[in-house]
Amino acid sequence: MATRIEPRDPLTQAQGVEQGYAQTARRWPSQPLLRRPHGVAELSGPRDLAHRLPPVKGDLAGYGIRRALGQLVRLRIRVLDEDGTPLPGTVVELWHCNSAGKYIHPNDTHDAPVDPNFYGAARLLTGDSGLIELRTIKPGAYPVPDTGGWWRPPHVHLSVWGRVWLSRLVTQMFFPGEPLNEADAILNAIRDPGARERCVARLAPSTSNEMIFEHQLVVRGRKGTATLP
Amino acid sequence: MSRLIPTAEMTLGPFFPREFAKDANDLVKGAPADAIEITGLVTELDGKPLDNVILEIWQADAAGRFDNPGFSGWGRAATDAHGVYRFRTIRPGAAPGRAPHVNFLILYSGLMRQLQTVMFFSAAPDPVLAVVNAKDRLIARPDGPNRYRFDIRLRGGEETPFFDD
Repeated sequence: MATRIEPRDPLTQAQGVEQGYAQTARRWPSQPLLRRPHGVAELSGPRDLAHRLPPVKGDLAGYGIRRALGQLVRLRIRVLDEDGTPLPGTVVELWHCNSAGKYIHPNDTHDAPVDPNFYGAARLLTGDSGLIELRTIKPGAYPVPDTGGWWRPPHVHLSVWGRVWLSRLVTQMFFPGEPLNEADAILNAIRDPGARERCVARLAPSTSNEMIFEHQLVVRGRKGTATLP
Repeated sequence: MSRLIPTAEMTLGPFFPREFAKDANDLVKGAPADAIEITGLVTELDGKPLDNVILEIWQADAAGRFDNPGFSGWGRAATDAHGVYRFRTIRPGAAPGRAPHVNFLILYSGLMRQLQTVMFFSAAPDPVLAVVNAKDRLIARPDGPNRYRFDIRLRGGEETPFFDD
């Protein structure tokens, strides 16, 4: 059955120029976004991403000779569509900074130290129940390199694909109970409190040496006949 | 039927891993006669070029089909320190009711969510191009044999038209 994409709800989806995040005023288009009809181009999508984007290092805490510095965590992230149907075999990309708040990226000028045993990027395929699971360390907070920046709370960047071109989801996962969550210009650009809460992972019970965080990603798209405007 | 609310999109940030974009900008294997190159400059307000902007494309095969198992149709490129991206692909055919085109998705820090635009090869009638006023900004410029130039201006003068979805 075809996939249907409904318009974004401005309460649960942010866009535009955001006070307190100066780069948005230099980059978000000044002209209104245009509505276009959706046809096969927009409501189809790549089928071979697992081949085009092969898996990259699944255990971010065990990359080096020693374990990476920081609090060991296990992330369990499930990918579903709007009908609640899990998406098996879909690519999930994930990246985050080290426990001191430093990314392994040449453009990161923050003076926090690099951890030689930490590797900050993984690409995995979801299993039968739409789930990925990986071990890493809890990322640190860091100051935003922007005019009048602020401190980002610990977060994990996530990139997933749904069934069609318009289901693409790039987002961030936050950790519960972090005081910086309350003032983050990116998390708080989401107006609806429930939608913000759904971007914060849930701490699950653990008896091992890893804290377990569970999270859910819902990509756009429902089963149904596409309605052309 | 109950419905889950889609997860809020958030900015890509400036530190998308370089390796995630490596080699993903070449959609063709070998050197087919119909290979083309699409390059362009991505700029913010005042024409300043942007480094490590992620662009993803989705296009039909030469016959205008989106379901060809022999041609991926999908690619990803990152801009370099000069704001330039590059794709190697084939010239798409016309899907039913559409002019040949390449769908673009743009992700970057300072963009709270993805931006969508479309590159066309000519001003041929198309239902998506029809909703755009500044049509010429979505038409690629020939830039040598089998080369096309498609600049993306996020904001400011000659701003690229973007689609809501």
